[in-house]
Formats: sequence, structure tokens, C-alpha cells
Amino acid sequence: MSTELKKALYNISALADLGQEITSENAFHEKIQAVFYVITGTFLANKGAILSYDRSSKKLDTLTKKGFTSTDLEQLAPEELMPLSKNEPCLIKDAPFLAVVGAEVLVPLWVRDQFIGALLLGGKLTAGPYTPEDLELLKIIATQIAITLNHHSLFMDLSDKLEENQRLYEEMRRIYHGTLQAFAAAIDAKDAYTQNHSHRVAKYSAAIARELGWNDHDIEGIYVAGYLHDVGKLAISNDLLNKVAPFTPEERAEIRKHSTLSHNIAVKINFPWKNVEDMVWHHHERLDGQGYPDALVREGISDGVRIITLADSFDAMTSQRPYRKKMDVQTALAELRKCLDSQFDNKIMLVLCRVLDKEIKGELPEPEILPNLDKNSDLSIISSLLEGIIVELSATQSPA
Amino acid sequence: MKPVQFSVASKLVGDAAVIYPKGYLNNLSGESLVNECGIYIGRGITKIVVNFSETDLINSIGISLILQIMEDLRNIKGTICCTNMSKFLHDTFEMLGLIQHMIVFPSESDAIKYLKAGTP
Ligand SMILES: [Fe+2]
Ligand SMILES: [Fe+2]
Repeated sequence: MSTELKKALYNISALADLGQEITSENAFHEKIQAVFYVITGTFLANKGAILSYDRSSKKLDTLTKKGFTSTDLEQLAPEELMPLSKNEPCLIKDAPFLAVVGAEVLVPLWVRDQFIGALLLGGKLTAGPYTPEDLELLKIIATQIAITLNHHSLFMDLSDKLEENQRLYEEMRRIYHGTLQAFAAAIDAKDAYTQNHSHRVAKYSAAIARELGWNDHDIEGIYVAGYLHDVGKLAISNDLLNKVAPFTPEERAEIRKHSTLSHNIAVKINFPWKNVEDMVWHHHERLDGQGYPDALVREGISDGVRIITLADSFDAMTSQRPYRKKMDVQTALAELRKCLDSQFDNKIMLVLCRVLDKEIKGELPEPEILPNLDKNSDLSIISSLLEGIIVELSATQSPA
Repeated sequence: MKPVQFSVASKLVGDAAVIYPKGYLNNLSGESLVNECGIYIGRGITKIVVNFSETDLINSIGISLILQIMEDLRNIKGTICCTNMSKFLHDTFEMLGLIQHMIVFPSESDAIKYLKAGTP
């Protein structure tokens, strides 16, 4: 086999190497480094560099180099490269204005009408010149590199935009939560006896939903619903809300309007979470159909509603109300247990007990219920009560 | 075909470092060969023997890495000897014109003998 033929075969296999590297799943910089090795290995170049054009700074960034110093490469001005023929190797000796110490060939990299960067090569180990065949091969290689760099920069532009969007979204979420908190604070302030009630119902509901295995998005949704479930109380008179004496039937009916009012407010907000409206609307429904406003029965009541309902009642029992003293935690749990099936859901009660038990045992990194309960509670009594309920209710659940 | 993971071993014989590349020299993992030689060069070693008995295939990436070692040695006026080369490797180095810039021996011991004789 003649040396020319061998050399031609080597060049073809170098192109194959290039293709393999360009299409590899390697990270961008590894890919470029491997491509650069293919080039310097093909021409035995003692120096070389791949530069990419940064459209915003209008500068050439060095992606990889060998033999050249950064100062050498800084002599290359993008505006001097742009008038050169696209992806055509240019011998430096024919273009003295491109003088970079030790450089022999430069290829301006283009994809259609986009200037992408440049490929620069120094002399060969063999000290021979770049032949027309070399330049032909280099042109093919340069076109491939240009496409690779362009793909990468398109991808980076996209991911920058994505990041910006993500940042904006986070910011909006923060503002959103701030607004909701302000809303909840307004509700709780209006009703002097239920201070922080909305806040606690939000936390308890989220804790139960998390234990149930809900995803983060849905947990956030129930948190918001917890905040807003009583927002309709804003439309009910202070005197009525803060009344101590028993309610007349008319007064009771008036108070009961609050969940529908909450719903009417919630539907006006275009929530990114599904079912917030449903959860606030039906937080006073009961499994036995004795609740309000729609007297829904069992299947008509979603898991979200069942969670809010239980969290709402648990907090109502364990905090001070105008018409009664607050219950201790054991008594509240026993009360809830009595109302299982008729009012509350077994499974949700089981989950509430599990969360609280875990919180007492220090198994959860951020307890959400325990810190809001009476500081003087006897945790060992509560814990053994919880264990009893858990055993009992677990037996009623069909295995998953 | 599963890619063969490239590895490199080495030892010091007198004032020469003997390097044993193992596997195909065809991807970025071959950089460890350049690094290994660089460690010896950094310690003042100027004679390097590369024993290719366990590397019989090379592509343009591998050539670029060998070129790097040759240049690193040339900068310190060092010597590179290549031994136990497969016919493919020898033909490739010859066709590219690398062979004039290295000293080729059939075996490692020949290279060591030559390098010892060269030391006064
Ligand atoms: Fe309510
Ligand atoms: Fe409530």
C-alpha cells in the first residue's frame, strides 16, 4: 500500500473519529477536547486552539488550546475573521493581518449566516506545509465543529432562558405565598379567637398530604387551600364571628355561608393547583352527608377535602374558642376517633396519627403539628394513644 | 463492542521511566498516559520508554497524545523510545512521520540497554 493511500485511509478514519466524538454523549467540554485531539492528531499540529464567539460580549472565548498562550489568542479580533470565507482554511502567510505567533492556519467557523468561532492550528511536527488535501480535510472538520458549537450555544441559550423563567417563577411563588399569608392573617385577625388557625390548618394539611405520598406541587396546593379555607369569614360581621352566646338558627345559617364565600373568592384566583376551590368550598362536609353547603356523601368528598376537614377540626378542638376551653390533645384525638366514618375518614385519621407519632418520636426533620400543640402536653400518653389508634385503624385498611 | 478501558502503569529503571499503556489509545482516557509521563518529566526524568506490548490500536486521538509526550520531551531535550509496537502501530507512526522523532526498539530491554550506554 502506498504512503498516500495509507494517509488517505488515516484521514478517513480521523473523520470517523470526529463523527464518533461529536455524536458522543460526553459533556460538551470533553467532546470539544476529544475533537481537538482528533484534529491535532490528524495534522500533527504542535499548536492549536478552538475558539467560540460570544455574541453578547463580542469576544472569542478559548474552549481548548495547546501551545498558544492566552495573549497570543487575544490578538485575534472577531471583526477581522468575519470577512474571511466561511469555514475555509486560511493560511496565515497569505493573511498577515491575522498574525498570531506560531499560527499557520485559521478557519473561521460559520453555520449559515452565524459566525460561531475559529479553529487555529500551528505548524506540523514534520515541519512540512499544509497541503491542499490537508486544507480540504480541515474544511470538512471545521464545518462539523461549527455545527457542534452552534448546537451547544443554542442549547445554552435555551437553558439560560429556562433558568430565568425558573427564577421568575420562584419569585412569583414567593410573592404569591406572601399575599396568601397576608390574606390568612387578615382572616385570623378578624376572628380574635382563631388566631393563626388558617396557618395551622395549612401546615397540618400539608403534613398529612406529605405522609400520604402526595407530590410537592399538590402539597403546595393543599397548603394554600388550608390558608384560604375560611377566607369567606372576611365577609361575615365581626360581632357574629366573635359572639359568645349560642347562635340563633339565622346566625348559624349566616356563619355557614363562609365556606361558599371562600369558594367564591378562590375561584376568582386562577390557581396553578387543582382543587383548591373544591377544598375550601367543602371543608365543612361530612362523610354521612350531614355537612354543608352541599351535603355531599362519601365518594363525593375528595381526599383533599377529607384532609382539610380533619385538620380544621383538630385545630379547632386544640385551640381556645369563644364558647369553650381548648381540649388537651388526647381528648381531641378521642373526639375525632368517635366521629370516624360519620364525619371523618379512617385513612386520613390514621395518617394524621402516624405523622404526629413520628413527630413526637423525632423521626421527621421538620415537625409541623407538634410545635403548635400545648407545650404542657404529656407526650408519652399521647404517643401510646396514637399507637393504639394506629394499630386499630391499620387493621381496617385494606393492604396497598 | 464494549470500549476497552484504557489504563497505564509505569516503573523507574535507572534514570529512565518505562511506561506501559494498556488498551486502545482512542479516547480521552488516554490522557492518563500524558499525565503519567508528565509526572516523571516533572521529577527531572528526561528518558522515557513507552512499551506498547498491550496497546496495539491507536486512532487520531491517541496520536495526538503521543505527539504531546514527544513535544513535552523535546522541550527538555529528552528522549523517547518506543518498544514492542504492533505492525499497525509501527506503520501508522511511520506513515505520519512520527518515527523520525522517536527511537524504536523491538523490546524494552533493548531500549534500556541503549539508554544506559548513552549515559556516561
Ligand atoms: Fe370553616
Ligand atoms: Fe376553619
